[in-house]
Amino acid sequence: MFGYIVRRILYMLPVLLIISIISFFVLQLMPGDFTTAFRLNPRFSKAQIAQLEARYGLDKPAYVRYWKWITGIVTRGDFGYSLETQQPAFDALFKGRLGWTLLISFGTLIFTWTIAIPIGVFSATHQYSVGDYFLTFVGFIGISIPNFFFALVVLWFMVSVLNVGARGLGIGGLFDLQYVDAPWTWAKFVNFMWHLLPVLIVVGLAGTAGLIRYMRGQLLDTLGQQYVLTARSKGLKERLVIWKHAVRNAINPLITMLGMSLPDLFAGAFFAAIIMGLPTVERAFWNSLQRQDEYVVMSGLLFFAFLLQVGNLLGDVMLAWVDPRIRYD
Amino acid sequence: MKKLVIGLVASAFLVGFALAQEYKVVPFGQDEWKDFTVGNYGGYLVVGSLDNPKTFNEHVAQETSSTDVTGRLHAGLVEINPITDLPEPGLAKSWEISSDGLTITFYLRQGLQWSDGEPFTADDVVFTFNGVIFNEDVRTDYRDVLMVEDKLPTCEKVDDFTVAFTLPAPFRPFLRMIGGAIYPAHKLQQLSRVYNPDADPEALNSVWGVDTPPEEIVGMGPFKLKEFIPDQLVVLERNPYYWKVDPQGNKLPYLDGIKFVISFSLDTIMLKFRNGELDVYAPRPEDLATLIGEAAAKGIEIMIDPTKPLFGTTWIAFNQDCPNENLREYFRMVEFRQAMSHLVDRQSMIDNIYLGLGVPQWSPVSMLSPFYYPDVPKFPYDLERAAQLLDQIGLVDRNGDGWRDFPDGTTFEFELTTNAGNTIREQCCQMFVEDAKKVGLKVNFVPIAFNALVTKLLGGEYEACLLGLTGSSEPHGGRNVEWSCGGLHFWKYSDCEEPTPVAQRIDELFDLGVKTYDFNEAYEYYKEYQILAAENQFLIYTVNMLFRYAFYKNLQNTAAFSPLVGALGLSEFLWKANPNMVGNRVVG
Repeated sequence: MFGYIVRRILYMLPVLLIISIISFFVLQLMPGDFTTAFRLNPRFSKAQIAQLEARYGLDKPAYVRYWKWITGIVTRGDFGYSLETQQPAFDALFKGRLGWTLLISFGTLIFTWTIAIPIGVFSATHQYSVGDYFLTFVGFIGISIPNFFFALVVLWFMVSVLNVGARGLGIGGLFDLQYVDAPWTWAKFVNFMWHLLPVLIVVGLAGTAGLIRYMRGQLLDTLGQQYVLTARSKGLKERLVIWKHAVRNAINPLITMLGMSLPDLFAGAFFAAIIMGLPTVERAFWNSLQRQDEYVVMSGLLFFAFLLQVGNLLGDVMLAWVDPRIRYD
Repeated sequence: MKKLVIGLVASAFLVGFALAQEYKVVPFGQDEWKDFTVGNYGGYLVVGSLDNPKTFNEHVAQETSSTDVTGRLHAGLVEINPITDLPEPGLAKSWEISSDGLTITFYLRQGLQWSDGEPFTADDVVFTFNGVIFNEDVRTDYRDVLMVEDKLPTCEKVDDFTVAFTLPAPFRPFLRMIGGAIYPAHKLQQLSRVYNPDADPEALNSVWGVDTPPEEIVGMGPFKLKEFIPDQLVVLERNPYYWKVDPQGNKLPYLDGIKFVISFSLDTIMLKFRNGELDVYAPRPEDLATLIGEAAAKGIEIMIDPTKPLFGTTWIAFNQDCPNENLREYFRMVEFRQAMSHLVDRQSMIDNIYLGLGVPQWSPVSMLSPFYYPDVPKFPYDLERAAQLLDQIGLVDRNGDGWRDFPDGTTFEFELTTNAGNTIREQCCQMFVEDAKKVGLKVNFVPIAFNALVTKLLGGEYEACLLGLTGSSEPHGGRNVEWSCGGLHFWKYSDCEEPTPVAQRIDELFDLGVKTYDFNEAYEYYKEYQILAAENQFLIYTVNMLFRYAFYKNLQNTAAFSPLVGALGLSEFLWKANPNMVGNRVVG
């Protein structure tokens, strides 16, 4: 197993390199560059724009810039800097955001799984019952409602219908204003929970709905298997049959999905982050795309590609761990 | 000037111990300040912001999420009065213009201190201009604005509190333009290659970036930076050394500080304002009905002034150098462009798209500018007249398919574009396309992404385009657009090599307009320019949005909110009836 993991990690390097080349040159296909936004400013002369291009190296051909960037990473671990904020590229993406992003993402993940798995099991074991129809219906709504729209509806509901402002509560962001720069206290924690809950609901909804569908389908498959029949005929309690025999087998594909959802953890909260004003890495990445802040975009892409690969690896390893039939060596 | 001297004496008397400090007294209750009152100290102004500041370095800051913050941290020699829009003393207590108009001497206030307590002197001013603004290393949009006949003025120290600027030629907008932020020499001088040849050429661009410890950012403005939490909050606090006092000698500002709540969506900012989490908000047209409905219950005041459109212009440009030569020929005909103006239904745009919050615009100069000339030739919505003009230049339907054709019988059609996602502009374009259809003119509307559009526009690759430009009181600010060789002369870049007589005359008028210090004379030049621009319809101006502002009534000294200044521009004078209140609720 250990040898397998090392091999997989070594494979990652050429893949990342190829991804970086492709994404760099795809990026060049975007019209304009970082200086485009300066050009409509009547206070900048043409000469100064040209000077700016030279300063940022944007007048050089793409392959020269790519070479400079990639050699910087290999030789100095330097991922370039943000043209917009003059920070190192990784700071521009992660600083003040990584922790919150992970917290929101893992919070959502836990929220999703703790809700979706029991519901999925219930749906499968009560197939075609009123409860199953109802939950399936809710699930479909969850999948089909656009994330950003739902976020807006939730905030609007809090203001216009619940009028939470009259109770001294804020909406959006992570805290009410007076807590943002205050040290952690119990009151601040409670306030944080108040702001986190709508985020979990909005971000988690689509994932929950999807997971319910998967769990239900998988479990229905498994419940038809002969070993379930055997377990039942042995006289095992129904609870044990479902959870120890059926669910235990049905959940394997979901474990693989869990590993592969690692990059989604960063991407999933994106729209909600914009509407709800959350500090997330994905929004910072989107901002750099809009500004064509080349090195930040590239570093972001590289980071997400890396996450995807690690996620795949994790998925495979976890699967081997929960399913003794799987061997990689 | 007399009033100022009296004010200075009064302030010295009232401030007592600070006899040597030449504070500026803001005469609340008098003249243009008549609606302002002396306030109480305390509380934060809370505003929404759509993005993080990208830098705290005022001279390289580009977008409002940065300049909204940096503008509060710094001050300049001359200030623009937020009510009268005229230059008045700032860090300089007075100035003299030599009789030939070439030398301007500024006398600085004495005894002032930077926000870190260091003394402010002429060295700071000289460093700011020679070491930062005139320094080619610095990526500032402020340098080109100060160019006179393509040369920069020179800046010299006369004594510790006197600075003299020498211009290559008289330059009327000088006083309005010279108010840029003064930077502290004691903090930054070593980063400028003018003073320190070993400095990194990028140092002055990257200094005061978003990671800088707040105490490093030193200014002469009413506030100083306290904290920046990315994606969440920027906090400014009162600068205890600020150099303005109210008529009773109380130091300004009244507020403890300003909090910028960062939220990336205007929808959310609007909801936060309604929820009582922000003190002020500039509502979009679609927000107004909701806000007016809630105003009484929530204690919101809404300002809409039909006489005050925003600075800036929105227009349709026809590329007279466009790649399609057949089109180009027609785009160059003034009758064609006049016909296009007859096709713009400005009133319906105002009623249906701007929801009543707009006024038609006819001139390239912003309507609130003192140089605005209202009676330029106008070519208002008139389909018959448009059709007549198009017939006249030979654009008629030759094959009976309902569309007007080129003389060779092919359909006359062009592409109209705008930046995708701007719903107001997209709707205006669609309305234009519909009206053009009514006179048999085929217009294809293709919105594209903003960056792609700018590249096309400035590369001369577009056919027709609806966009906007920012504006100000000073028509010279538009020189880069109007000047035949200007970088933004996007409707006809070929004017640079072979200028038409009209283009030549406009170039001349822009030169004349800045060479006289006499307002009335300058006005005549800009008036002629506006008439020429309107007659020739280089850009077909559409509609200008009206000023809108909403705030909770707890906020005081709000009478002067206008397109010139909102809550941030007036923040040094604002105060809160209840300092513990944000929006309409008590916090803490």
